[in-house]
Amino acid sequence: MKMGRKWSDRLQFGIFTLPVLICIAVAFYIPFVMTVRYSLTKWNGIAKHPKFVGLDNFERIFTGDANFSSAAWFTIKYMVLYIVLVNVLAIVLALILDMKLRSTTWLRAAFFVPYILSLVIVGFIWKFIFMQGFESLGATTGWGIFAMSWLGEPGLAFISILGVSIWQSVGFYMVIYIAGLQAVPEDLKEAATVDGAGAFRKFFSITLPLLAPSITISVFMALTNSIKVFDVILSLTGGGPGGTTYSVAYDIYRDTFQNNLYGYGTAKALVLFIAVLVITFIQLGIFKRREVEA
Amino acid sequence: MTSAKTGRIILEIVMIILSLLFLYPLILAIINSFKSFSEVMSDVIAMPQQFNLDNYAYVWKYINYPRLFINNTIITVIGLVGIILFSSVAAYKLSRTNSKWSNTIYLLCIVPMLIPFQSIMLTVLQLAKSLHLSDSTWGLGILYWGFGAPLAIFIYHGFVKGIPREIDESATIDGASGFKLFFLVIFPLLQSVTTTIIIIDVMWIWNDFLLPLLMVNGSPATKTLTLAAYTFVGQYTSDWQYAMTAMVMAVLPSIIVFVLLQKYIVRGVVAGAVKG
Repeated sequence: MKMGRKWSDRLQFGIFTLPVLICIAVAFYIPFVMTVRYSLTKWNGIAKHPKFVGLDNFERIFTGDANFSSAAWFTIKYMVLYIVLVNVLAIVLALILDMKLRSTTWLRAAFFVPYILSLVIVGFIWKFIFMQGFESLGATTGWGIFAMSWLGEPGLAFISILGVSIWQSVGFYMVIYIAGLQAVPEDLKEAATVDGAGAFRKFFSITLPLLAPSITISVFMALTNSIKVFDVILSLTGGGPGGTTYSVAYDIYRDTFQNNLYGYGTAKALVLFIAVLVITFIQLGIFKRREVEA
Repeated sequence: MTSAKTGRIILEIVMIILSLLFLYPLILAIINSFKSFSEVMSDVIAMPQQFNLDNYAYVWKYINYPRLFINNTIITVIGLVGIILFSSVAAYKLSRTNSKWSNTIYLLCIVPMLIPFQSIMLTVLQLAKSLHLSDSTWGLGILYWGFGAPLAIFIYHGFVKGIPREIDESATIDGASGFKLFFLVIFPLLQSVTTTIIIIDVMWIWNDFLLPLLMVNGSPATKTLTLAAYTFVGQYTSDWQYAMTAMVMAVLPSIIVFVLLQKYIVRGVVAGAVKG
């Protein structure tokens, strides 16, 4: 009787969990194992069998691939600037919206709207603004910034990609910070005012430390999103001008699907995965320690 | 006190102007979708001379808008139903079972959140081809079951922990067990997290680009809205009036839904981020 009960429990456990395990295996684990296998081969997808080359692909990635190193450099610059700027801007917006202005509902909606749009489409709309809109705006206002080649010059194209990404997602981080601010007890803020703390003092010694959990979440999200930046570059610059705005993810896409370097592309893909893994663990470690102290 | 009050009013006005500037690119896209080619070329910021819908009629037919809309809906609904169904039952069971096995399986379920899609995109495509899931809206929807599961399981798992076991026990005494217990008693209690997951996943699947590009871009019959807009711009590189019309048509469903459900969407997105 007891044995029967145990087996029926196990059977039920299996029935409840097996479907999702199969789905996850199909989406992640089986492709992942295949990726590891391909990364050790040379293959163009046409030849019948991939040719085993050991770790040659990885050696080439780190020693003789100018595309990869420039894409890696681009991605690192982009990540650092994106994480800092999007979070600072989001905190500023959240602080203003937390002041309970009459237009708060409208403002929150306005800054959030781009986040619900597809990044590829956001990229195209901005491409239109940079290419056509700025011409008209320049003619009307006579301002020099509208005459600059925002997509045609490497440095400016980088700033454009960064700016458009921030424009699209700042509202998301803003609402996380608004939720965080609402969790800061009102009497704590008031007590600080009574004690004669100025606005800046109050922000740095009370609000900011209490926002720590929101900052952890937002930095984490900003990091995992920015390391994979792809869609917006594809539609905004297409990697140009002169191949200067390829990110790592876009470089992998180029090698795999445009140059048909299946083995080499998957090796790069694996390098990206390991980078994500290492950065995630470092970050979790840092923030865990920091939060315990605070 | 009065100076503080004027300060607030000035801030309020500044913020409203800023928010309008922030939305200006979208406003420009909408304005130009009503213009003719020569109007766009001569002045982008001017209002259209007349609001005619010619561009819309043209793009509607050219990209077969109703078809795309149906495709997006099929993919999103299939993906969503599978994610909710499979993830909730599994997360419930994993959360209620305390064993080494159960913990290991739970970890196996959530660890894939760390795998960037670009790291496995080629092999996902190959696997999907051999399983006959590619080139079909249904197949794409089914693939999302696995991609959406880790986050959904993570969120459900945490929430189920907060539901007292006594509820399961008293239901068992009343004679409910297995799926009946889950769907009649537990699932209704998960409503708030289910809403959160629906919101996050609809936004993600509806707007997703790379996976659909690899899976269903081959035929006009299976394309999604974003894919069609992407291809369309590629073909009409200088006809900005058509391109902007296609963009507006592609984003319009999202904007309408956002305006209607703004409160829930913002709440759901925050809840998803804080728990996820």
